[in-house]
Amino acid sequence: MTTETIPQAPAPVQSRGNRKQARRNTLIGWTFILPNFIGFLAFTLIPVLAAFALSFMEWTSFSAPKWVGLANFQRMLASDSFWIALRNTVVYAVGHVPLTMALALLLAMLLNRKLKGIGFFRVAIFFPYITSLVAVAVVWNMLFSPDNGPINQLLHSIGIADAPGWTSSSDWALPAVIITSVWKDMGYYMVLYLAGLQAIPTELYEAAEVDGASAWQRFWNVTIPSLRPTTFFVVVMLTVSSFKVFDLIVVMTNGGPGRSTTVLSQLIYQEGIGEGKFGYSSAISLVLFLIVLTVTVLQFKIQQRRER
Amino acid sequence: MKRRTFAALALAVTTSLGLSACSGAAGGPAEPQGQNGKTVLTVSVWNYEGTPEFKALFDAYEAANPNVDIQPVDILADDYPQKVTTMLAGGDKTDVLTMKNVIDYSRYANNGQLQEIGDVVNSVGKDKLATLDAFDINGKYFAAPYRQDFWLLYYNKDLFKAAGVDDPKNLTWEEYAALAKKLTTEANGKKVYGTYQHIWRSVVQAISAAQNGKDQNSGDYSYFQDQYNTALDLQKSGATLDYGTAKSQKTSYRTMFETGQAAMMPMGTWYIAGVLQAKKDGKTNVNWGLAPMPQKNDDGKVNTFGSPTAFAVNKNASHSDEAKKFITWAAGEEGAKAISKIGVVPAFQSDAVKDAYFKLDGMPTDDLSKKAFTPDQTALEMPVSDKSAATDKVLNQEHDLIMVGEKSVTDGIAEMGKRVKSEVLGQ
Repeated sequence: MTTETIPQAPAPVQSRGNRKQARRNTLIGWTFILPNFIGFLAFTLIPVLAAFALSFMEWTSFSAPKWVGLANFQRMLASDSFWIALRNTVVYAVGHVPLTMALALLLAMLLNRKLKGIGFFRVAIFFPYITSLVAVAVVWNMLFSPDNGPINQLLHSIGIADAPGWTSSSDWALPAVIITSVWKDMGYYMVLYLAGLQAIPTELYEAAEVDGASAWQRFWNVTIPSLRPTTFFVVVMLTVSSFKVFDLIVVMTNGGPGRSTTVLSQLIYQEGIGEGKFGYSSAISLVLFLIVLTVTVLQFKIQQRRER
Repeated sequence: MKRRTFAALALAVTTSLGLSACSGAAGGPAEPQGQNGKTVLTVSVWNYEGTPEFKALFDAYEAANPNVDIQPVDILADDYPQKVTTMLAGGDKTDVLTMKNVIDYSRYANNGQLQEIGDVVNSVGKDKLATLDAFDINGKYFAAPYRQDFWLLYYNKDLFKAAGVDDPKNLTWEEYAALAKKLTTEANGKKVYGTYQHIWRSVVQAISAAQNGKDQNSGDYSYFQDQYNTALDLQKSGATLDYGTAKSQKTSYRTMFETGQAAMMPMGTWYIAGVLQAKKDGKTNVNWGLAPMPQKNDDGKVNTFGSPTAFAVNKNASHSDEAKKFITWAAGEEGAKAISKIGVVPAFQSDAVKDAYFKLDGMPTDDLSKKAFTPDQTALEMPVSDKSAATDKVLNQEHDLIMVGEKSVTDGIAEMGKRVKSEVLGQ
């Protein structure tokens, strides 16, 4: 800034001053991000890079890592547990993402009105999201109890004789987990949709109404396109969180019965932290990373094409 | 566009890989500093508040050795093995490491993380320490057991009296099952189960291995058959709480026994201290007794299984000599007295200690309870082997499926064998 007030200054000096200023700015910039960056470096980036390298090694954490090439990946591809966990992860994502999205949108539309006490309902829907996950899992486990749980009692009372065994049945355990996670997450995404809905100018609806559009047509041709940026964000966040689901499953079923709800992130934990096979578990985490990366890049690409 | 792709990449990296990223550096306790010239001895423990034996031992040792200040390194019980592994990999200097089970012990010892303490074992007396064999690695000892737990049958004397049946002496499994059905009642909406078999796989598998003299790492599990049939029969007839319910409700075995909802319960000796404490606090008035575990054979011999707990010296210990001195004391008679005062079963065998044990306030004193206390043979719950952790996982998963009725006993046992052979033994 000071250099600009001296217009007669010779060009080289000015550029030197600018450079000095630029360096100063860079330095200030660095000091701002440094505290966070150090944490990111030490606890995320370096371990992540180490995990990349470890996936080609055998390491029990006591001795020095040993290079084994692709042996970890070969073992993984030959392992039942890996394929079962991969299938469970995908099933969970396929159930969790669309259900949460649809319910969040539905709730957002219901609650996007000026009614008395609407604040209460919005809070009520958001509440599960801020409730402790362990508490949620334990309570839902009780609700799902096969014999005397309220859910099955309800099913019995409406005439369903052989109600599912939920968390004690390998066919129904994953759906039970999905239901719980949808219930817990939908409040958060509802808030995102609510914000999106309120940003849609009412003129669009009025114009559509004047043109004779029905409620359904207004929803399909005004609401949905206007919500596209929100939807994109919701889909990406939901997909990523679905692929790395861990805590809810550990508390609710711990992967059981048998391996029917074991997901990839849990397998990584079991093999690595549980059994000390850090190389092998890094290999699995590399695969999980590639899956999440592919899906996310794909979503970004689709979004770009739509925007064009 | 580039920035977008980068953003996607960054998002994916930070969220997915972060999971397996486990920091290797463990900040152990700082180099202990003497307070008032005392030597500070650090000991790794789990759940210090809820495991009173540690405080009992430390207080007694400090009283006998005023120049020592013991500082517990408290670790969450569920994460104990993982946390200790991380600590050791990071070169932690904690002096004494408590070995929660023999599987972890063999892992640490075989990886050279523990000091050889044969001299400690010798000075306590090899023949005095129950379950010492479990710690023998090619004639060397890297830990000394100070407590030992084994399984026996807890029973509710009042419920037995009300049903007009005799105390459970010398039961076989068939007699036990028949008795459980007889003791099951339902009155005024309150169900009393004849027995409560907790959801742990050991309730079926470890006892079966112990009484058949089999190895759970063998990959052949046909010997589980009878025990599973008994367990499923009890469940089907309503004589024990359904496995699926117990699991989804996270049923506490303590509640089942202390509120009189179960007339019998096979469980480990660690629970004795629990009942004594609950009675002392007025939380239960259960009139309880101990009996030997039901047996496979009707030959009057008592076979059960158990698991010792031991102290070891860290290879990187700051005070090795002090640590050894502490272990000699804790595994010996003095340590045994200190923990038996609160109802914990010491590994150190002596009549004086046993007599003192049965004089505890609230302890049943009948002959059957005393007999239950001296089984003829106590097998290890799980063999000492580097395969045990992986086998345990497989057996747990398949146990689950058999107990909820997803797989038949035959199919489940076949699957256990197949998976252990391919996933653990690499056959």
